[in-house]
Amino acid sequence: MKLKEGFMLRNIAGSWIVVPIGERLVEFNGLMTLSESGALLWKLLQEGADFETLVKAITSEYDIDEETARKDVEEFTSAIREKGLIV
Amino acid sequence: MATSWGEIGNKLILQAKARGEPIIGQFELTSRCNLRCKMCYVCESPNNMSVVQKELPAGKWIKLAEQARDAGMFYLLLTGGEVLIRKDFREIYENISMMGLSITIYSNATLVTPEFAKWLGRIPPAKFSVTLYGASPETYERVCGNGKGFEQALKGIDFLLAEGINVDIKTTIVRGNEYDLEKIGELASKREIAFGMVNYISPRREGCYTDPIGQRLTPDDSLELGKRAYNYFKRRREEINSKKDIYDDNCITPDNTKPDIDKISSNKSKEEVSESLHDKVVDFDYVQKTKNAFQCSAGNSSFWVTYDGRMLPCGLLNEPVVYPFDNGFLQAWEDLKKLCREVPVCKECEKCSLKDVCGPCPAKLKAETGCFNKPAPYLCELAKRRKTLKMDA
Repeated sequence: MKLKEGFMLRNIAGSWIVVPIGERLVEFNGLMTLSESGALLWKLLQEGADFETLVKAITSEYDIDEETARKDVEEFTSAIREKGLIV
Repeated sequence: MATSWGEIGNKLILQAKARGEPIIGQFELTSRCNLRCKMCYVCESPNNMSVVQKELPAGKWIKLAEQARDAGMFYLLLTGGEVLIRKDFREIYENISMMGLSITIYSNATLVTPEFAKWLGRIPPAKFSVTLYGASPETYERVCGNGKGFEQALKGIDFLLAEGINVDIKTTIVRGNEYDLEKIGELASKREIAFGMVNYISPRREGCYTDPIGQRLTPDDSLELGKRAYNYFKRRREEINSKKDIYDDNCITPDNTKPDIDKISSNKSKEEVSESLHDKVVDFDYVQKTKNAFQCSAGNSSFWVTYDGRMLPCGLLNEPVVYPFDNGFLQAWEDLKKLCREVPVCKECEKCSLKDVCGPCPAKLKAETGCFNKPAPYLCELAKRRKTLKMDA
């Protein structure tokens, strides 16, 4: 999975924000806030991580079982896919 | 749960304020302007070469934006003078539009061409905020010394809207355009864009040929305007609320326990109206809690940089001042915060029964009286009238 180019993940005053940049501003002139774990997944997706890598990152970082992690990663990736943020 | 752009923004600003991070930056790219508004506090002639020489080059603005961004800046206002008068405006804007910022441009819109609007529409700012100074060429001639400016500004607004750019209109009411308020509002209403009014004219910050004090309304006239404005904005709010369903935000229900998108918020302005455009994130207990004279974000989470490179808490002031181009942004920001904490609180204002309607501001006190801690008669009289207005409402 790969995120579309033209978005920047920023930590602003303690909150994770995804901001469109340059020509991406035309289709998404707003902002998106992410939870801490959402930001972790976003960073990995920027590097082109696959589904299994994302699940592993969540189970390593948080006290959560694999089944729940899979469900959460699925929901997260579906949400950003729906918003057209994945290539 | 619906969460608007404004709610997210306010939350970020409050967080930044608590952390002392410079989330709001204001770059005064030039002091030159093509209009001659009698009440302006910073407006040099377009071809004043001695001023041009003092203006910072594009590269310095771009580097400063980068440093400020790395220190926490998210909201950036580009203002003037008239920013579009700078020949290198596009170079500055194109570079900062890649920095992950929410950019607002303040302009009189008279220099906006179809070609400019097309270019900007490819990398639109969060907001292009236009000040209209009247609702006819006659008013523009009277207030700005340029009757043609009215049609030019309207055309500019329409060129921007045609490219899908988020535009709002605000106005500054002075002697000479006070009867145009409702008509200017209708120009915004017709275009279904936000409209607001600036209700305070500051004495000039530095020498130019204007006369802000001579042009601003007397406290009594200000009260009359306040009554009209109250009725106008109330009626407009009611009209807007009746069709509010078309402006619903696009949001996802947040769940902080999961790796999720908390909120997605569109930056598109709703058609909204506001009597006053002063800082929306004001904590009236802040002075008592922190002993900081600035109630707003100035010098705590926002800063202003003048066309010649001075960094100030806000655009009304000439001090406290620091120099980000000498020692870097971060050092300048830390110095500015420290200097702002040393600004004395006006003890009389703090005890005054009108402080809730006045919102004592050290920048206004300094601009009006030359002192940070001396009550300003004009502001006291305005507060008394505002109290009357509030009681009537």
